Amino acid sequence: MSDIEASAAQQEDIILELRGITKIFPGVKALNNVHFQLRRGEVHALMGENGAGKSTFIKVITGVHEPEEGQIFLNGQEVHFRNPKDASAMGIAAVYQHPTSYAQLSVTENIFMGHEIMKGRMIDWAAMNKEAQALLERLNANFRVTEEMGALSVAQQQMVEIAKALSTGAKIVILDEPTAALTANESKELYRIVDQLRDEGVSVIFISHRMEDMYRLATRVTVFRDSQYIGTYDVDKITTADLIKAMVGREISDMYPKPEVAIGGELLRIENFSRQGFFKDVSLNVHAGEIVGLTGLVGAGRTETMEAVCGITKPDSGKVYLEGRELSIRKPKDAMKAGIILLPEDRQRQGLILKWGLGRNVTLPIQEEMANSVFNNEKKERQVAREYLESVDTKAVTIFDAASSLSGGNQQKVVVAKALAQKNMKVVIMDEPTKGVDVGAKAEIYAIMGDLAKQGYGIILISSEMPEILGMSDRIYAMCKGRITGCLDRSEATQEKILELSME
Amino acid sequence: MAGKSGRTISAEPRGTVKKLLFSWESAMVLVFLGVILLGNVISPYYTLKNVFREMPKYLSEIFIMLAMGYILVLGDIDISVGSIVCLSATLACIADNAGLPFVLVVLICILTGLACGCLNGFIASHFTELPTMIITLGTQIIFRGIAEVSLGPGGSISLQNKDAIKLLSRKIGIIPVSFFVVLVFALIFIVVLGRTTFGRKLYAIGSNSTAAKYAGIDVQKIRWIVFTVAGTMAGVCALFFLASTYGASTTTGQGFEMEVIAMCVFGGIATTGGKGKLIGGFFAAFIIVCLRIALGQINMNTQLILVIIGAMLIVSVLIPAIGNALRLARKKAEKA
Amino acid sequence: MNKKENGIFRKITGSREASLLIVLIILLALIELLQPSFLAPQNIAQIFRNNALTMLMALGMLCVMLTAGIDISITSVLAFSGMTIGLLQKYDVIHNTLLLFLIGAAIGAVCGMLNGLIISKGKVAPIICTMGFMYIWRGMAYVISNNAWASAEDVSGFSDFGKSGAPGPYIILAIAYVIFFIVMKWTRFGRRIYAVGSNAEAARISGINVDKTITLVYTIMGLLAGITGVLSVSIYGSAQPNMQYGKEMDVIAACVIGGVAMSGGRGTVVGTFMGALIIAVIAKALPLVGLDSLWQNLVKGIIILVVVILNVVTQRVMDRRALARREM
Repeated sequence: MSDIEASAAQQEDIILELRGITKIFPGVKALNNVHFQLRRGEVHALMGENGAGKSTFIKVITGVHEPEEGQIFLNGQEVHFRNPKDASAMGIAAVYQHPTSYAQLSVTENIFMGHEIMKGRMIDWAAMNKEAQALLERLNANFRVTEEMGALSVAQQQMVEIAKALSTGAKIVILDEPTAALTANESKELYRIVDQLRDEGVSVIFISHRMEDMYRLATRVTVFRDSQYIGTYDVDKITTADLIKAMVGREISDMYPKPEVAIGGELLRIENFSRQGFFKDVSLNVHAGEIVGLTGLVGAGRTETMEAVCGITKPDSGKVYLEGRELSIRKPKDAMKAGIILLPEDRQRQGLILKWGLGRNVTLPIQEEMANSVFNNEKKERQVAREYLESVDTKAVTIFDAASSLSGGNQQKVVVAKALAQKNMKVVIMDEPTKGVDVGAKAEIYAIMGDLAKQGYGIILISSEMPEILGMSDRIYAMCKGRITGCLDRSEATQEKILELSME
Repeated sequence: MAGKSGRTISAEPRGTVKKLLFSWESAMVLVFLGVILLGNVISPYYTLKNVFREMPKYLSEIFIMLAMGYILVLGDIDISVGSIVCLSATLACIADNAGLPFVLVVLICILTGLACGCLNGFIASHFTELPTMIITLGTQIIFRGIAEVSLGPGGSISLQNKDAIKLLSRKIGIIPVSFFVVLVFALIFIVVLGRTTFGRKLYAIGSNSTAAKYAGIDVQKIRWIVFTVAGTMAGVCALFFLASTYGASTTTGQGFEMEVIAMCVFGGIATTGGKGKLIGGFFAAFIIVCLRIALGQINMNTQLILVIIGAMLIVSVLIPAIGNALRLARKKAEKA
Repeated sequence: MNKKENGIFRKITGSREASLLIVLIILLALIELLQPSFLAPQNIAQIFRNNALTMLMALGMLCVMLTAGIDISITSVLAFSGMTIGLLQKYDVIHNTLLLFLIGAAIGAVCGMLNGLIISKGKVAPIICTMGFMYIWRGMAYVISNNAWASAEDVSGFSDFGKSGAPGPYIILAIAYVIFFIVMKWTRFGRRIYAVGSNAEAARISGINVDKTITLVYTIMGLLAGITGVLSVSIYGSAQPNMQYGKEMDVIAACVIGGVAMSGGRGTVVGTFMGALIIAVIAKALPLVGLDSLWQNLVKGIIILVVVILNVVTQRVMDRRALARREM
């Protein structure tokens, strides 16, 4: 860095700068000549589609990955991180989406693991507990430091992670999708914490898919696309449309292509579904060609209710009617045979076998139908798998590609193909189908949803994303703390009304 | 029915012949041939006739190996099978000494195994929080404990009616009957695991039991069945064990579970589940059997033979790591 | 979000160690009732002496299981080490007690280190690696002994160290337990072991050398197994290649009952001690209720199963209660 550039950096007070960063993994260039500048004390958003390179970039900053090319400057000085400890020692800390914590150990230990407070050669538990408690109080936490990490909620665990970052004296804190798993209240709390960090002089970078996060917190936003740096913009000067265009590279005119569909007769009706501790007296129905939105805050009981309907868990009471006929559903196979198909919330853990190829994943539920008596009919399975994978536009080369090699959006498409392949499907329940899916693939999934409605299927869409629910649903049920709090028709639904119904 | 973009996906399997040639199972075949060659080189007695003569006492374990392969593919483990052999053999001898007809003795032997396996399966499928290692650790001690109590202070028992069981140790030509029985069972187990819907479900459960459940597979029922089968096969093993030893004691079957797991792992079945082919375990079993016979013929210390087998096991599981290390070293050399 | 009840009842039932202590007290009380003279000092000393081997190795197994690993080669290492020092005495090479212990410890440490390196660097599953070495070391014990063994007279001087009434074994046990208690709770190294078992990825990212920790843990296990081998020769006054065959499961059982989780990250020295003690006391108490030693194993197995199943059942009940308290 030349003297002129160094003094220019100081004028702008750039605390962190990355230049020309290229990171290559076997077979893929995850980052291609990427630049980034973080001003001291600013809150800077990093946005882009899935696979754009944001996570890899964060890992370069925190020392997890070493770039093949490029330089990193901290406070104007060039630095090299050989491992995460180097970065941490320099005051850089990250809070990841999936808390990387020690579930069986206490909050104190999670905060101080690796840099415990010592008294001579022994750990000083008293001092550590006290310090941890002080940190928690700073963050307005409502739990004790002696609690086991695994007993805390996701939001609480995140707080501990932030406390951990603070305990190392971090000057740069990176948040990876911080609001992804939080309720609206918890998100507000997080915003307050980020404000507090900024007020204390900490510089913050955060990755998010949510525009509201960006507008609320950030002063500037950097966009990556396809492993490349696209640009840095002032948040109050760029429009959402332009931002999306930068992220996707094209205009998305109709985000929610909801077709006009004639709503048919009642397909599915559930009555008085209850399970102690999860949901109570839930009743709703879906008609042919209808998209029913089921919304609420995280923890409202939507997934739990639907999993009970599909036989994955056992409810205490409740009745299910399909086309007027009462069903007895005792295990998942019963629901599947009746035609009620679930696209699970966690597509990687519940929806797919990542090690397996796409084809095998798609045909797993219909193995027996394809088979010759007890023997697998692999050829037929291959044909069927290809047919359905193509019908949902999966981006893959062969059906033997491992499911793990696909992006989130494509993985979701495989899950949809898997549901479609069960030809007797009547009602499909999609649980957060676009979570972790980039904007481009999202639109494709909505298109698929619209097609399904046109073909007369009944669709239940579980989602926490307001625009999605408002854009796609014919009717919207809201749940709060395990109960249905209301049902709104598409014509009368607004964000405020839904929020009101979703909150206590 | 192509999608909007008209994008197509290939469904043609590629490179199957190449995959077959370079698979772990083919390597097993090569090692087997190597062992036969070795045997011929080091021992003049290594004839087909002699090998078949000494085989029966090693064959009984292979019955268990077939079922253990299923358990490992599920991602579970069963360390109680040796004790099930002990208990089955013991109760069979007690039945025999009590004068029961041979048919009943056989039935008791196998049904004991079935009952033990059923208990394992029951606990595993109803208390899914418990690792199967711990469950079968407990049942291992219980089954052998029941045998100890049944055997009393003497600690051993012999078959009275030796003639009936000699049927099982007969030969057809030079090949023992037990060899044919093993082949038949092996064929069934291998085909079921590799080509049927049931087998595919096992791989699914072993790879991701949650996703398997969501796909409609009755995970717990299948686990229960597989553990029951394992116990039953231990009963079958006990039967053939009696055919060569004519008795049982408190130390019967000790160590069987480890030998059988070693055969499976050596044959390419991973303990983490969802991976490996049963035929690999089958080849591995015969590699070990033929090697033991060869080394036994040159009067190598039986314990030293076990040292060699232990070393073979460790080297075989280190191969992937060694391969990676070599690849990394080559890359570093290229960069420099 | 579950709100845990506060108060002393919750603390006691929530702590595994406390539950074990209660069980132990009840057991001892029952025994005292059935045979008052039973709990005399010499009987208690006998319990420790007869179970010293299991108790000592359980400390190593605790560390191994904390990293979500397992080591089934321990009794083979024990035999190899024990046989070696038995032979050293048999052929009058070395008779010095301290030296013999050091040699045994060194042998065990090398065996353990091999396990650790292969498991951490070779990415081999612990059960498989230690299974292979189980065969290797047991075989080596036979090979070096040439199928003979060191008899009582061969080790006569040495067996004074561990003969009935001698303080040696108890001192070793006490020192070992104190050291491990301190290390596991108050040193960074001890807490690293918990971290690695709880979340190896997170540990790696935070800069902990996971491979080194795992290698050390297995080395320590081997070291203890080696020392136990020497101790075994001293206590039982002989060395044979088949020493303690099959007894590795007893060590694992002691840990499991003591609350050590196979999945790693959970378990304590105190719990392990009590787990081993409970099994030992029950074995001793069986004759009092009319069951001779033949029933020992059966009862031990049933207890292990009952304890682990009970654990699951109580957890389920607690979870259900927590759910019931949720307002709907």
